[in-house]
Amino acid sequence: MTNVITSELGFLILLFLYGIGANGSLIFGRNDVLANRWQSFSAIIGSLWGILFAMGAFVVPDMSFAFSSSISPLFSFSFHIDQLSAFFIFVISLITLFCSVYGIGYIKHYYNKYSIGALGFFYHLFIAGMLMVVTASNGLFFLIAWEFMSIASYFLVVYDSNDANNVKAGFLYLVMTHVGTAFIVVAFLLIYTYTGSFDFASIQSQAALIPAVIKDVIFLLALVGFGTKAGIIPFHIWLPAAHPAAPSHVSALMSGVMIKTGIYMMIRIFLDMLQPVPLWWGILVLIVGSVSALLGVLYALTEHDIKKLLAYSSIENIGIILLGLGSALIFTSLGNTPLALLGLGAGLFHTLNHATFKSLLFLSAGSVINQTHTRNMEEFGGLIKFMPQTALFFFVGSMAISALPPFNGFFSEWLTFQTLLQGIASADIFLKSIFILATGALAATGGLALACFVKAFGATFLARPRSSVVFHAQESSLSQSVGMGGLAILCLVCGVFSGYLGSLFVNIGTKLSAFQATPQILTISSGSTLIAPHGFGSVSAPVLFALFVLVVFTVIILIKFAVNKNQKTEIGATWDCGTNLTPRMEITSTGFARSIILIFAGILRPSVQHEVEYHDSEMRYFPKSRIVNLSTQDIYQSYLYQPLNSLITGLSVRFKVIQSGSMNVYVSYILIVVVVTIFLSQ
Amino acid sequence: MNITFLQFLLGVLFLSIIYLLLARKNFEAVVAYAVQSSAITVLLFASFMETNSIPLLFVVLVTLIVKAILGPVFFFRLIQKHKLTYSVSTYLSMPLALIIIATFTAISRFQQFSPLTYIIPAHHALLSLALSAIFTSLFLIINRKDAISQAIGVLSMENSIVAFAIFAGLEQSPMLQLGIVFDIFIWLIIATVFISMIYRHFGSLDTSTMKHLKD
Amino acid sequence: MVLILILQFILTPVISPLCIGIVKKIKAKFQNREGASIFQPYRDIWKLMHKDEVISSDASWVFRCAPFIIFATTIIVGVNIPLFASFPLNGSTGDLLVVVYTLALGTFFLALAGMDTGSAFGGFGSSREVTVSALAEGGFILSLFTISLIIGTTNLFAISNAEVLLVTEFFLPTVISFAGFFIVLLAETGRFPFDNPATHLELTMIHEAMILEYSGKRLALMEWAAANKLFIFIAMGANLFFPFGIAQSADIQAILLSLTALFLKTFVLCAMVGIVESSMAKSRFFRLPDLLITSFILSAVAIGLVQIQSL
Repeated sequence: MTNVITSELGFLILLFLYGIGANGSLIFGRNDVLANRWQSFSAIIGSLWGILFAMGAFVVPDMSFAFSSSISPLFSFSFHIDQLSAFFIFVISLITLFCSVYGIGYIKHYYNKYSIGALGFFYHLFIAGMLMVVTASNGLFFLIAWEFMSIASYFLVVYDSNDANNVKAGFLYLVMTHVGTAFIVVAFLLIYTYTGSFDFASIQSQAALIPAVIKDVIFLLALVGFGTKAGIIPFHIWLPAAHPAAPSHVSALMSGVMIKTGIYMMIRIFLDMLQPVPLWWGILVLIVGSVSALLGVLYALTEHDIKKLLAYSSIENIGIILLGLGSALIFTSLGNTPLALLGLGAGLFHTLNHATFKSLLFLSAGSVINQTHTRNMEEFGGLIKFMPQTALFFFVGSMAISALPPFNGFFSEWLTFQTLLQGIASADIFLKSIFILATGALAATGGLALACFVKAFGATFLARPRSSVVFHAQESSLSQSVGMGGLAILCLVCGVFSGYLGSLFVNIGTKLSAFQATPQILTISSGSTLIAPHGFGSVSAPVLFALFVLVVFTVIILIKFAVNKNQKTEIGATWDCGTNLTPRMEITSTGFARSIILIFAGILRPSVQHEVEYHDSEMRYFPKSRIVNLSTQDIYQSYLYQPLNSLITGLSVRFKVIQSGSMNVYVSYILIVVVVTIFLSQ
Repeated sequence: MNITFLQFLLGVLFLSIIYLLLARKNFEAVVAYAVQSSAITVLLFASFMETNSIPLLFVVLVTLIVKAILGPVFFFRLIQKHKLTYSVSTYLSMPLALIIIATFTAISRFQQFSPLTYIIPAHHALLSLALSAIFTSLFLIINRKDAISQAIGVLSMENSIVAFAIFAGLEQSPMLQLGIVFDIFIWLIIATVFISMIYRHFGSLDTSTMKHLKD
Repeated sequence: MVLILILQFILTPVISPLCIGIVKKIKAKFQNREGASIFQPYRDIWKLMHKDEVISSDASWVFRCAPFIIFATTIIVGVNIPLFASFPLNGSTGDLLVVVYTLALGTFFLALAGMDTGSAFGGFGSSREVTVSALAEGGFILSLFTISLIIGTTNLFAISNAEVLLVTEFFLPTVISFAGFFIVLLAETGRFPFDNPATHLELTMIHEAMILEYSGKRLALMEWAAANKLFIFIAMGANLFFPFGIAQSADIQAILLSLTALFLKTFVLCAMVGIVESSMAKSRFFRLPDLLITSFILSAVAIGLVQIQSL
C-alpha cells in the first residue's frame, strides 16, 4: 500500500482525485447541498492522500517521471518530485484539508446566490494547478500549470460577482499575474536560447553555458516575475485587492499557499538550476525582503478592512521568508554552505508556519464577516461575547503571527535572526552593514506586527459593540470550528516540536544542487532543541512550553487560592467619567494606528481632508455636518503604475495610425512584409 | 598607553559629538564641548607622560587654559549677553542625521581608508572612529543653522583631528604642536573679535539671515 | 543546585519592589523631601492583595487572565537571565531572543487588557505602548546582539560567564551599546522621558492608562509585574554588560560575593534612573521615536566597531 501511495502512480491518483472532484461538482451543480458536500469531501480525501504521499515522498529517493508527447520534442508532461517538492505538496495538502473542512460550513453562506458547482470546479482545478506547479520539471509544462493556477484563482476571486469591487479586483489580479507570467516566459526563453532545452534537469547540468550577463538578466526577470506572484513590494498591488474579494477559505489558500509557489520557483531557479550565483543576487533579495517586510506591516497598520490587513501582513511575511532566502544565496556565493542551509531552513520553516497561522486568521475573519456582513473593522467590537470560539482561534493566530513563544512563529523568526547574526559576524564591513539593516528591519517588523494584531484583535473582538451588526452574530458552525481549531492546534504543535522539524529542513536543503558540492553536515537541531551553528545559541521548545505552563499555573493557584481567599469580586461598569458609556468612547482601529502612521508619515503619506456643510452658506458659522477623511496615499499607483499606464496608452495611441481602415493599405503591408522576409532569409 | 584608557577617551569624544547633534539648548552644546576639550587635554597630558617632551607640556597647558576653560566661559557669557538660549533648528531631521552618522562610521572602515587607518595597525579601530568623528563634526557644521553651533562644530573638528594625530603617533612632530598652538591663537581672535562683530552687524546669529554676504 | 534554581525563581519578585522604593526615595531626596520608606512598595502590594475587586461588565477573559500571564512572563524571564550565577549554562531557554519575545508576550497581553474594557484611556494607552514598544525593539535586540557578537553566543548565561568584556579592546563597543540599552530600559519600563510613572493626568499616561480599570489582586499583580520588569532590565544591564563578580562556580563564597555585587550594581543603576528622572522632563510623545532611533544607531555603530578575530 505504501508503495502504491509513494510512487508515480500515487501522484497521478492525487491529481485524478482532484479532477473527479472538479467534474463531480459541475455534475451536481443543480443541487446546492449535494455539490457542497461533494466538493468538500473530495477535497478532504484528496488532501489526506496528498499528505500521505508527501510524507512518503520524503523518505524515498527522488521520483522523476514523464509522459513524453509527440507534439514537440521540447514539451513533455514531466514531473520531478524531490524533497523540496514533497515539502510544498505537504504544505498545500495540509492547508487544503483544514480549509475544506471549514468550507463545509462556510459555503452554506452562498446557497441560492451563486453556483456552488462552479465554486467546486474552480477550487479543485486551483489546487490541482498548484500541485502541478510545484512538481513540474519542464519549462513549458510549468508555464501551462502556472496559467492553470492563475486562471482558476481568477474565477474564484470574482466568484462573488454582485459586488463591483470584486470584479475590479479580479481584473487587476488577472493583469498583474499575466505581467508576471510575461517576465517568467522571457526568462525561460532566454534560458532555452543558451542551454537548448526546457527540461529543468538538463538546464541545471548545462547552466555553465549561460554567459554571466544573461544570467543576471534572467535573475532580474525571474525575481520580478515570481515576485509578482509572491507579492513583494512594489509588485504587490493586486494582493490587497484580490485576497479580500475571494471567498474566505479560498483567500486562506491563496495567501497561505499560492504566493509560496513564487518562493518555491525562486528556490528552484536560484539555488538549484542556476548555481553558482554572484554575490549581489543575494544582497538584492535581502534588501527586497527587508523593504517588503517593513512596508507590508506599515500598510497593514493603516487598514481598517480586516481582510486587507491580513493581505498586507502576508506581504510582510513573504519579506521575512525572503530574508532567509537572501541570506542563503549570500552564503552560497561566499562558499559557506552550512550557514546557507541555516538560511534556507529558516525560510522554509517560516513558509510552513505562515501557511498555518495565516490560514487560521483568514478563516476566523471569514467567520466574522459571514455573521456581520461587513469587512469594516470600525463596525465590529465585543464579538468575543457572541463568538467566543472564533475569538479564541483568532487570538491563537495573532499570537503566532506576532512571533510570541511558545507558538511556531517565534521559532522560525529565531532561526532567521540567527542566520542574520551569522551574517553580521562575517568580516566584510559592507556585508555587515547590509545584515545590520536587515536585522533592524526584522526587529522593527516583529514589533510592528505585534501592534498590528493587537489592533486587529482588539478592535474586532474586545470592548463594546460599535454598531448594530454585531448583535445578530452567532458562533460559527461545527465544521468551521473544527477547521480553525485544527489549524490552531497545528500552530502550537509546530512550535513545540520545532526541534524535530529543524533537521527535516536541513535534509530538504541538502538535495539542492547548491549544496551538493561540499556535503557538510549541519545540525540545526538535536532532538528537541534548535541549535545555531558555531555554538551561537540554542533553544528547546518543549522545555520552554513546559516552563510557561508550569509558571502560569503556579501563579494562578498561588494568587487565587493561597492569598486572601475571601476576596469578593463585583461586576460593575467601566469608568465613564460621569457620562453615559457609548461605543464612541472606545479606541477605533484607525485611531489605534494613528500614532505609528504619523511617525512614519514620510513613507506612508497620510492625508486629512475636511468637508463642511453649513446651515447658512453666507454666514459660515454653524456647521450642519462635517466629514473628515483620513487616508494614506497609494504611492505605487501614483508614481509607478500610473506613469507606466500613461506611457503605454500614449504609445498605443501613436501606433494607431497604422490602422487606417482601408483594405488597400493592409494588403500593401502584406506585400512589403513578404518581400522583405524573402530578402532577409537569403 | 593602555588601550582601554584610549578607548575611554575616544568614547567620550565620540559620544559628546553625538550629544552635540542632539542638543537643543546652546548651553548643553557648550557643556559637551567643554567635556570634549577636557578629554583631549587628558589625552595630550597622557602622551606627555609617555614622551616627556617640554613643548608638548606647553601645548597641554595652553589647550587646558584656552579650550577647556576660557572657551566655554566665553560661550556662556555670549549666550547670556544675547539671550541665545535655544539653538535654531537643523536642516535634516533627527533620524536622517543619525543614519548619516552611522553611515560615516561604517564608511570609515572601508578598504579605501586603510592607508589612513592602518598607520598604527594596533590602533586601527581607534583611528577609524576618530576619522568618523571628523566627518561627523563636518556634518554638524553643515546641518545646523546658527553660528554658535557651527563654531562649536569647527572646534570639535579640531579636537577630533588632534585625537586622530595622537592615535597615529604623531604627537612628537613639531608640525602638530605648531598647528595646535597656531590654531588656539586663531581661536582667540575668532572668539573675541569676530562673533561680537557678526552679531552687531547682522542683529542675530542665525546664519539663514546672513544670506546677503555681498553687501 | 536545587537551591540555586529556587533562588533564581524567587529573587526577581522579592527584590523588585525594593528597586522601585529606592528610585522613589532618590527622586524624593532630589525634590528636597523625605519621601516614603524604601519598603513601602511591599506594603502597597500587601494592601492591594487584601482588597476586593470590581471588574467591568464589558471585560472578557483577556482582562481577567492578563495580570496572571503578565506576571508569569516576568517570572519566566527572571529565571532565564543570569542574576547571580552564570555557571548553569541554560541551553534550553536562556537565549537572548527568548527573553525579548517573552517580554513582548507580556506587552501583548497588557495592550489587549487595556483595550478590553472599552474605556477611552485604556485604548490610548495601548496604542502608545505598542508604538513605543515596536520602535524600542530594534534598539533592544541590536544592543544585546553587540555583546553576543563579541562573545560569540546568544546564550545569556554564557555571555556573563565570559571574561572578555571591559578590559580589552571591546571596551568602546560595550559602552556605546550600553548607552543604547539604557535608553531602551527607560522606554520599556515606562520611565522619564518616555512615561511618567507617578502621573495623575490620564492624557499623559502610557502604562498607567492601561491598568486604570484594575483593582485588588489583579492590580497588585500588574504593579508587581512592572516592578519585576524594571529589575529584569537592570539585572540584564548589570550582568551582561558589566559581569564583574558574578558567580562562576557553585561554592557558597562565590554566590554570596555575586549577590553582593548584584545589589551594588542594582543600587547604582537605580540611582542612575532616579537621577535621570529628576533631571529631565517627560518628552512629548512624537519626540520619542527620535530617541529610540538614536538607541538603534548607537548599537549599530557599536556593532560596526566590533572586530572579531576569527569565526
